[in-house]
Amino acid sequence: MKTILKWLRNPYFQFLLFGILLALVPILAKIGIFKVSYITTLGGAFIFAIAALGLNILLGYSGLISLGTSGFMGLAAYLSAYATIDLNLPFEVAIFLAILIPTLIGVLVGLVSLKIEGIYLAIATLAVSEVMRKTFEEFDFFTNGFSGKTANYPTLFGVFTLDRTTMYYFIVSVLVLVMILTYNMVNGRLGRALNAMRGSEAASQAMGVNLLNHRLIAFALATIYASIAGVLYVHFIKYSYPSIWSLKLSLDFLAMIIIGGLRSIYGTLLGAVIVFAVPDLFLKQLPYFNQLSYILNGILIILVIIFYPHGLIYAGHDIKRAFNKLRKGAK
Amino acid sequence: MQNNEVDMNGLVLKIEELSIAFGGLKAVDGLSFEIKENEVFGLIGPNGAGKTTAFNCITQFYKPNSGAIYFKDRKGQTQNLLEHNVHEIIKLGLVRTFQNVELIRELSIIDNVLIGAHTDFKATIFSQAFRSPKAVREEREMRAKAYEILETLGIEDRANLPVGGQPYGILKKVEFARSLISNPKLIILDEPAAGLNDVETIELASRIRKIRDELGCSILLVEHDMRLVMDVCDRICAISFGKFLAKGTPKEIKENKAVQVAYLGIEVDHDTKQ
Repeated sequence: MKTILKWLRNPYFQFLLFGILLALVPILAKIGIFKVSYITTLGGAFIFAIAALGLNILLGYSGLISLGTSGFMGLAAYLSAYATIDLNLPFEVAIFLAILIPTLIGVLVGLVSLKIEGIYLAIATLAVSEVMRKTFEEFDFFTNGFSGKTANYPTLFGVFTLDRTTMYYFIVSVLVLVMILTYNMVNGRLGRALNAMRGSEAASQAMGVNLLNHRLIAFALATIYASIAGVLYVHFIKYSYPSIWSLKLSLDFLAMIIIGGLRSIYGTLLGAVIVFAVPDLFLKQLPYFNQLSYILNGILIILVIIFYPHGLIYAGHDIKRAFNKLRKGAK
Repeated sequence: MQNNEVDMNGLVLKIEELSIAFGGLKAVDGLSFEIKENEVFGLIGPNGAGKTTAFNCITQFYKPNSGAIYFKDRKGQTQNLLEHNVHEIIKLGLVRTFQNVELIRELSIIDNVLIGAHTDFKATIFSQAFRSPKAVREEREMRAKAYEILETLGIEDRANLPVGGQPYGILKKVEFARSLISNPKLIILDEPAAGLNDVETIELASRIRKIRDELGCSILLVEHDMRLVMDVCDRICAISFGKFLAKGTPKEIKENKAVQVAYLGIEVDHDTKQ
């Protein structure tokens, strides 16, 4: 019993266990407990969670706001679609290019814009994102313009062609991997340096933290995460329109982090599910409310911010406390 | 870069003709002093004398308009600090604390101490993300070192508590610990006694001496609490309105007329002042 408890406390074991739980969704759908469409909804939410995790490193740890997440995610999506469909490149090469190119652009943008902070950085990144969206509309040969670009389920190592369910497993594996890597980074030297930077620029500099370097690292990480999400998106949803990669999506990423929990890995995931999956899964099912699902979602955001300003993930503590109280009361 | 022309024999820090002006205000004007190895050196002056500005010039938070600041680094080489960026200073072996404690509330005490070791980590981000054995070992060793330092300060029982909500005296100690973990040659303490009660101040005095003796480093103390300064400093430099006033042992400073005038504002004739 003790060893089991010890295992359960191990964060890596928790991540794996969590991944296995998520992987149960298609099986439950097969038995008929879930609708099959839940696979697409949840898979999509997990993809957005990956990009949101990157933004959480940037916003939560280093305290910088970016409104460019959707632009970089879209760029990666188009690149991967273009590389696999038009250039006929293997998925592995496509994924490499679709992460490398947006990241390079992201670092360049970071180099010129990271000297400014706060709302100004948000505006600068928003401008970059809007330039990209406009590019998606205009560069027909590359993006197919307004009619949208289609892509296929990927073929891994040239042998395994994925379908919706196996692609869902692939997404969950990538998500768990990204969660573990994020956990390692934010709990080590990098996380401390970013925290220090947010807490006090003067103190972090005095302790040897190079501000511009670390801002660039955080920005690059956010771009890499967004690119990974973009690649997964285009091969899971199988199309990409310019209108998807709008300011609304970037704001949704912010909402996910604020709702779920700043600097919380599981919180980011919770936020992604609330923002992307809850309207589809629950609110649309309610009679009379199906048209209002996004309004209800807005109300939910307001309620969460009022009652859990640090994120809904901290509701867990309250639930635990209430549970303990009940148990004591029963005794 | 090495500067062999400057004679740093027995010295750790040498400041020559340091001047910085903000607009028309000369905050520091032609200030020179030097700190010997293994010395507790006090920098005193009335409010607005330019102590903190001088200090920010040394740590490169401000770039002075003129003057030179030489520092003997951890390897014993003489560095002109003006050639370095603010974040490179700690690596040379010069670390500072802050007047208003600058810690990260959300992090635990031990993590705050580990920030002081930032430049000593060798593992790359990549090997940290994938937890290579080397990175894991390094993190473990640094953590043990941080814990040891907390032990010497007597606050190891709080190591894993968040900094937010800790009493002020503890926060001061955590900041002290953060400066110690970088193996400094010179520690600059910016008003370490501010906000401490009498008992804590006495404790601080013995801690400063102990650190100096055990680590073999020098300490530059910028402080208002005269009792503490007179108690622990080997030598003191007094400044007023950015200008050098006097230099000497605590006793000499106490008896110095110019210092008394600056502090107490007594009008004296010009001939007695000299």
